Amino acid sequence: MRTRTFKQTYGELTRLLPYSSSWTWYVALLAALIALPLVGPTYVSTFVLLILSAAVGAIGLNIVTGSAGLISLGHAGFLAIGAYTTAILTTDYGFDLIPTLVIAGLVSAASSLLVGIPSLRLKGLYLAITTLAFSIIVTQLIVEAEWLTGGSIGKAVTRTTVFGYPVRSTISIYYIALGVLVLTIFGALNLLRSRVGRAWMAIRDYDTAARMMGINLVQYKLFAFAVSAFLTGVAGGLSALYVRYINIDGFTLIVSVEAVAMILVGGLGSVRGAILGAIIITILPDVSRWLMNTMFRSVFVLPAANSQEIKGIIYAVMIILFLRYEPDGLAARWAVIKRFWSEWPLGKARG
Amino acid sequence: MTASLLRVAGLTKRFGGLVAVDQASFDVAPGEIVSVIGPNGAGKTTLFNLICRLYSADAGSVDFDGKNLLAYRADQLAGIGISRTFQNLALFEHGTVVENMLVGMHSRLKSGVLAGAFYWGPCQNEEIEARKEVERIIEFLEIEEIRSQPVSMLSYGLRKRVELGRALGTQPRLLMLDEMVSGMNQEETEDIARFILDLRDEFGIAVLMIEHDMNVVMDISDKVYVLNFGVPIASGTPAEVSSNPAVIDAYLGKSAA
Ligand SMILES: Nc1ncnc2c1ncn2[C@@H]1O[C@H](COP(=O)(O)OP(=O)(O)OP(=O)(O)O)[C@@H](O)[C@H]1O
Ligand SMILES: [Mg+2]
Repeated sequence: MRTRTFKQTYGELTRLLPYSSSWTWYVALLAALIALPLVGPTYVSTFVLLILSAAVGAIGLNIVTGSAGLISLGHAGFLAIGAYTTAILTTDYGFDLIPTLVIAGLVSAASSLLVGIPSLRLKGLYLAITTLAFSIIVTQLIVEAEWLTGGSIGKAVTRTTVFGYPVRSTISIYYIALGVLVLTIFGALNLLRSRVGRAWMAIRDYDTAARMMGINLVQYKLFAFAVSAFLTGVAGGLSALYVRYINIDGFTLIVSVEAVAMILVGGLGSVRGAILGAIIITILPDVSRWLMNTMFRSVFVLPAANSQEIKGIIYAVMIILFLRYEPDGLAARWAVIKRFWSEWPLGKARG
Repeated sequence: MTASLLRVAGLTKRFGGLVAVDQASFDVAPGEIVSVIGPNGAGKTTLFNLICRLYSADAGSVDFDGKNLLAYRADQLAGIGISRTFQNLALFEHGTVVENMLVGMHSRLKSGVLAGAFYWGPCQNEEIEARKEVERIIEFLEIEEIRSQPVSMLSYGLRKRVELGRALGTQPRLLMLDEMVSGMNQEETEDIARFILDLRDEFGIAVLMIEHDMNVVMDISDKVYVLNFGVPIASGTPAEVSSNPAVIDAYLGKSAA
């Protein structure tokens, strides 16, 4: 049973982590992630890198969709804007990577106003369709602007530097992504526990009441879009680094659906949920392919590895299963289990 | 009589052919408790929504503290001292009691996106101060035990109390309560009546309330305003109103129907 949980100051009540023992766990986890590329095989760190950058994007989407309740299928569009901005600035103009990622986020955030303003009056399905249209327009513009983006051929990301040092290996990109994710987690948690995050929650749960409490719906919805797009743009920038060759085929609807699956599986509105979802949805296609390979090889003729069809089916199944059986996502399940064990043996199991 | 805090004059709202509020006029003085009563569908909630700028008025004027309220947006009212509760619970379901009340303090806090993301000094101090104040409200409403519970787990009476606390977070000068005690038991009702009187006596808050519970209305109101089918039919002290034949008629007509 967890003890010493009584708070003595108001400052303690506003802490990020209420128990100092939790810090120990998170520091240990961070240390393990830092050590991983040094001790583990490369394919493992490559895989974890995918998860790190997906987690940044999932936290971003979870702000607009989970916290503020504004359904977005425009994730792929913001990723594309971030990825192309990064590719152009680093490779064509020799920008340093750190400012580039910030600019990628800002360009994406600015573009979010284009979709945010028209969608202020829309909800649910209509908003989903508007944001989807946005991402289609973005990829179309990228194809048109061939002089800048390479058009339908795509664009290589060749020259990247951090503080003047060239960044080539997957390992260095891994550490950049890890740093970005840690900053993202802190930023998102801080936002969600302070005034702006509470305003988002209020808009999602009861917008009329939110207005009466002094929350300007227009302003805070646009904030949600902008912050979400900023993080997603940065995630897109990270993806450009490790993909090394970007093309609009990497930013189709399935990418937006993938991100929605992540936050649904992990838990809407929760930073931990977004990370859990990013882990699960990133490894799921590979796990299921491996399972099918070993178990049903003789029964099915398997589609090509990692094919869009397989992914699409898996995401759809996950979204349906979670909406039906675990609508609050894994993060809520985690909270229930944690409460049970931290009160054990005095507590009672709660659904 | 002192200068009025809220002055409603000729306020009118039509929904298609239906005149939901027809020429409503009344005053609320600072520190006064005014009840709006009337049968179901009389237009009481519509009147509240007009004052709160959730509906736009078809005619009439609303002045608050010398300002023309009709020139304000709904989200600006908290900042100038008007707060309300809703007839149907309007809590932020996914939040805890404390989180709901902190939202009530929104217009009095300042941190924006950047300050919030970095949670630097001023933002942190502001959060700590806000927590202190929320604790004061929690103590006032005697809901210490439930402060960190999700509001979705609370009983109806407690949720109503949290909603009152959230409205108090804005530090209102005029508090508008829409059927606060409906669905509450006797004890909870008496608690709320006591809170309303304390709010007036200790903090000088004026209260405009819609209420069906006649005991509460008669016991604590300074003035009562009666609507029937959108039309004001009487106003005055509780004693004057309760002996007014038009009022008795409206209510008997309703219970006979
Ligand atoms: N948004 C709206 N659109 C159309 N008609 C409305 C709207 N809001 C209220 N009305 C109508 O206006 C009339 C007054 O409704 P209102 O909710 O103000 O009554 P009320 O006095 O609060 O009743 P109750 O005691 O049942 O809460 C009703 O006939 C209602 O159907
Ligand atoms: Mg009503």
